[in-house]
Amino acid sequence: MFTSFAKAFTNLFKKPQTIDYPLTPIVKDRDYRGLIGYGEEACIYCLKCEKACPPGAILFVPVENPPENKQNKKGLKYHYNPYLCIYCSECVRACPKPDEALWQSNKKPEVAVMDDRVNEGWFELEKLKKQND
Amino acid sequence: MKKIKVSLESVRDEIKSFYDYKQWHLLTLNGLALAENKMEVQWIFSKYEAMDEIVVYYTEIENTETIPSIVDMIPSAIISQREIVDMFGVKVDGSEKGLYLDEDSMQRPLSGCSI
Amino acid sequence: MKKTINIPLGSQHISLLEPVRFKFECENEKIISVDSDVGFVHRGIERACTTKFKFDAIGYVVARVCGLCAITHSLSYTAAIEKLLGGEITKKAKYLRILLLELDRVHSHMLCLSHTCENAGFEAMFMRIMGDRELVMEIQELLTGNRVQFDYINIGGVNRDISSEVAQKIVNNLYEVKQRVLGYMDEFTNNWSLSLKFKTIGALSLDDAYRLNAIGPLARASGLNIDVRNEIGYLPFSEVGFVMQTHSEGDINARNIVRLNEILNSILMCENILSGLPEGEIFTKLKGKPNGEAVVRFEAPRGELMYYVKGNGSAMLDRVRIKTPTFASIPAFSHIFVGENYADAPAILASFDPCLSCTAK
Repeated sequence: MFTSFAKAFTNLFKKPQTIDYPLTPIVKDRDYRGLIGYGEEACIYCLKCEKACPPGAILFVPVENPPENKQNKKGLKYHYNPYLCIYCSECVRACPKPDEALWQSNKKPEVAVMDDRVNEGWFELEKLKKQND
Repeated sequence: MKKIKVSLESVRDEIKSFYDYKQWHLLTLNGLALAENKMEVQWIFSKYEAMDEIVVYYTEIENTETIPSIVDMIPSAIISQREIVDMFGVKVDGSEKGLYLDEDSMQRPLSGCSI
Repeated sequence: MKKTINIPLGSQHISLLEPVRFKFECENEKIISVDSDVGFVHRGIERACTTKFKFDAIGYVVARVCGLCAITHSLSYTAAIEKLLGGEITKKAKYLRILLLELDRVHSHMLCLSHTCENAGFEAMFMRIMGDRELVMEIQELLTGNRVQFDYINIGGVNRDISSEVAQKIVNNLYEVKQRVLGYMDEFTNNWSLSLKFKTIGALSLDDAYRLNAIGPLARASGLNIDVRNEIGYLPFSEVGFVMQTHSEGDINARNIVRLNEILNSILMCENILSGLPEGEIFTKLKGKPNGEAVVRFEAPRGELMYYVKGNGSAMLDRVRIKTPTFASIPAFSHIFVGENYADAPAILASFDPCLSCTAK
């Protein structure tokens, strides 16, 4: 009991365990699971990542001016929803060209505001995808 | 895993003769939708301090039938029985509705005909 | 005139982490009957598993049942699918699975202990244990890439290999945690507000533990030898030094001591795993679709977790049944409350370490 008293007393003069958050940024480890990055030039449009994604955060949707890529025969464009993503990196494991076409960074997504239309925009893409299937 | 088929009438007697409370414990009651209004009910037991010894008593019933309660033999079955009532919309003796679901939620979500 | 008064505890209460409601019928100070409502956070995960997701994604879905034992949920589901697909995973993957399972147990037990302290009015100890728990959270983040949702286990093995720096960091941090836990041992046995106050409160006898099918630390504190790690051959627990921890008293203090001993045993297991980690691949590709039914049990931090999975040879499963530890212990909880003082109810409840998001799934 006396040791716990002594400990409580010395704790008064210790630095706090928490960091001063908005002023001191949180240091993320190099291997922290964060946002998925995409390299359009290297993509071969095999759609394996789309099938592997558990929550369906990656969609390839046909658009009018598709990115110029020889492999892109159906005129698809890659869409990624960082707010739906669970950062499990199943897509990166499914990708035949990991690190070039698809990779995982250690960044967190930006805080979304209403103007980003995070939900509505994504629902429209999902509808478009359903129509083309 | 050992599966033993029993009839709905004899399930209480079968479990009564089998269940020794110092040797077995009830894992849970489980339901399984077979068709629109048919389901399988399972009573899953496991043995203390034995390697993977699991015994399953099961019976196939219509959704309109009433499942007998085993709470007088195994008091801890009450919570699983209440879950089955909610999830499959069947009747179990002495177990009322409303463990998880409210009036306005989807009713009997795991049975073959959820509403 | 009615002689009893009804006092509710919850659904929002200062001593509760999660929503649960107990209705106590009290005669003066004594509780004479208990009614509980546990379904406030029902999310329909069992239905989602059979209607919305394919079998290879469900490992990530069921991990979201509970934040504290996420790893046991995804491990149990994955083990059931591996049983149905009939594949064998590598020894290294098995060892890494045990490593994370035991790290998870350490941090979950530390959360429970700190919460018990808080309910005893010992805020300083609560802060200390929560601060020390960060050491474990840190190595879990290094190992898996996230603090809470590990997403570490997939069908066929584990997602990430362990590097030698991470292994060294785990050993260092665990050594530190071990010293701290030995310190808690002293507090929990000698400090007045944590030991004497808790003795004989909320006791469960061995016979009642058998009768009510109690599981986990609750049953082991009453002297019932039930630990699933002892009863499954799927992961080599005995190889890495698993010893069952039991106590005979069955009260709150006994539960705390069992948890402390389990932390020490888990740390020992982790150290053994890291010193003798076998070489090899971490992932084996398993082909096919699940067909048939499988029952898999694992020891979650709160007790026995059971998964029943039935597949029909297609990508969608017929049934996923999750039996969580707290769900099965509710009858035992209600029994323990009867005969105790109402004022002790929050402390008794904290000593159960209930997980309501598991229960209602």
